[in-house]
Amino acid sequence: MDITDNITLKVPYGTRDSLPDETRKKRAVKEKLSRLFNSFGYEEVETPIVEYLDTLTMGSAKGDEENMLKLISRGETLALRHEMTTPIARMAVSRLSDSPLPLKLCYIANVYRQEETQAGRQCEFCQAGVELMGSSAAAADAEVVALCVRAIDECSLNDYRVFLGHIGFVQGLMTEYGINADAQRKIKKAMERRDLVKTESIIDTLDIDKTAKRNLKKMPWLIGGEDILTLAENMANNETSSAAVNNLREIYKLLKVYGAADAVSFDLGITRDFGYYTGAVFEVYAKGLGFPLAGGGRYDNMLADFGSSCPATGFSLGVDRLLLARKRQGGEEDTAAAAIYVAYGAGLEEKAVTEAARLREEENVAVRLALKSETKDEAQKSMQENRCSRLFYLE
Amino acid sequence: MEYLTVALPKGKLFKISADLLAKADIYAEGLTEKSRKLVITNEEKKVNFIVAKTADVPTYVEYGAADIGIIGKDVLAETEKDVYELMDLGFGKCHLMMAVPGDKRREKLTDWAHTRVATKFPHIAEKFFNRHGMQMEYIKMNGSIELGPIVGLSESIVDIVETGTTLKENNLTEIARIMDASARLIVNRASFKLKFDRIDKLTRDLRKILEREGTP
Repeated sequence: MDITDNITLKVPYGTRDSLPDETRKKRAVKEKLSRLFNSFGYEEVETPIVEYLDTLTMGSAKGDEENMLKLISRGETLALRHEMTTPIARMAVSRLSDSPLPLKLCYIANVYRQEETQAGRQCEFCQAGVELMGSSAAAADAEVVALCVRAIDECSLNDYRVFLGHIGFVQGLMTEYGINADAQRKIKKAMERRDLVKTESIIDTLDIDKTAKRNLKKMPWLIGGEDILTLAENMANNETSSAAVNNLREIYKLLKVYGAADAVSFDLGITRDFGYYTGAVFEVYAKGLGFPLAGGGRYDNMLADFGSSCPATGFSLGVDRLLLARKRQGGEEDTAAAAIYVAYGAGLEEKAVTEAARLREEENVAVRLALKSETKDEAQKSMQENRCSRLFYLE
Repeated sequence: MEYLTVALPKGKLFKISADLLAKADIYAEGLTEKSRKLVITNEEKKVNFIVAKTADVPTYVEYGAADIGIIGKDVLAETEKDVYELMDLGFGKCHLMMAVPGDKRREKLTDWAHTRVATKFPHIAEKFFNRHGMQMEYIKMNGSIELGPIVGLSESIVDIVETGTTLKENNLTEIARIMDASARLIVNRASFKLKFDRIDKLTRDLRKILEREGTP
């Protein structure tokens, strides 16, 4: 059969099948993450894969909807969820409004973005994450960062770093220098696009003194260890920036206790792709993966946008990217469990069904039962074809 | 120290880029445009070089196959890859513009709406014309763009110009300047953070060299 042009065998751009080997490895990672999140008291939730477009654009910057997969139903515009934070915030406000706070929720779910496929990210990809709602304490941010670090460790990825920053630092600095809203927006946009040439040229056109210009240009370069916090503190002379640095110090103090501090660096000029972040934010990068592995942070205003004010923080981790990074770093675990092949001679079919059931019960391994009688030689061959490591032959 | 992988574009930016990086101690023996080796390594300095086709440099850097790269702003703007654009290196200056046959000028730019434009930069061109509320028919070409209007393939072209000689030779007149371009130092998102100290030092060194010696 010539299948090359058969449209019904193709899958749409940006989607893919996951075959047994890959699915098994992914399942093992999902189970580890799920157990870990539960052990920290986060309860798993599910939301619909489609939402009203207006819901999804609630927290995001204008322009994000360009990348959403949209459909029209009953005259309303719907979109496939492009991330999980917004749907969970919507759910928390509408369905869990009388639950006691803080609310600790987690998810492992597929999300959809109509964009060019990247390393470890198709248009449909799997994210695992947590949302902690109802606390503005540094303890909440620290727990979320520590949990993210634990999650990556748990999945045996070794070479990665967390970069922790705070939206308030840059914000405070720009306000201190009296930069108007329009220029602030332009600078932020250029920084979000990682275009430092443009960022600097915008700063050069501003009517501010030399030190202010130099400090603003330094923003994307404030990356490093704890000493960066002191450097940043000395640069800024306003309450918002100082509060941001103090908040990071508090979080870091707790991260030391969690044993997560060694994996954390600071990045005071950090920008995130979604516009809803308000406080401490972070991104995780792994060796061998040119894109971020995980990210998150505080989004104190989103629930208020849905009608019920409540501080919140959380993170999401790209499950497919985690698997890819682990493979590239050579740390892939083979989770294929030993399996037994049960075969039988003529007339022993019923006994074989009973024996297979007994083996499943007693040995706690996968048992593949032959579907017709075989000679012992045939069974030996079938065992290998079935990728089983042991043969149980009834004769 | 970890290896730093550098992607350099073949063509007019190659030699200036390699010479500039060498001054900042980023070099490798046998690094030439025509090298048969695909990756050229300096083990002592822990540097790898990839010499790539111009349009591929941003892709290598976006995916992290190269940590850093040097590439013209024109190519970078056309491909719109998600990379850090760290520095304007100042050389390779040119500009993107729209040109039409000298004897067929029209009064206003918008008089060209709904005509055909031949270009190597359909993405930049589309953004430009959209800004002016113009819909155009784009004809993507990979070289000798100025041939378009001559053979009747298109009414105009969008292309890069350095001196304007080619335009003159083909009796084309520039009617709109779209953007200025020059060579940029670009960096992968993850590498900028994970190899920050090394990239920070390189950028400082390059700034000093450019300040001391001027644009190469």
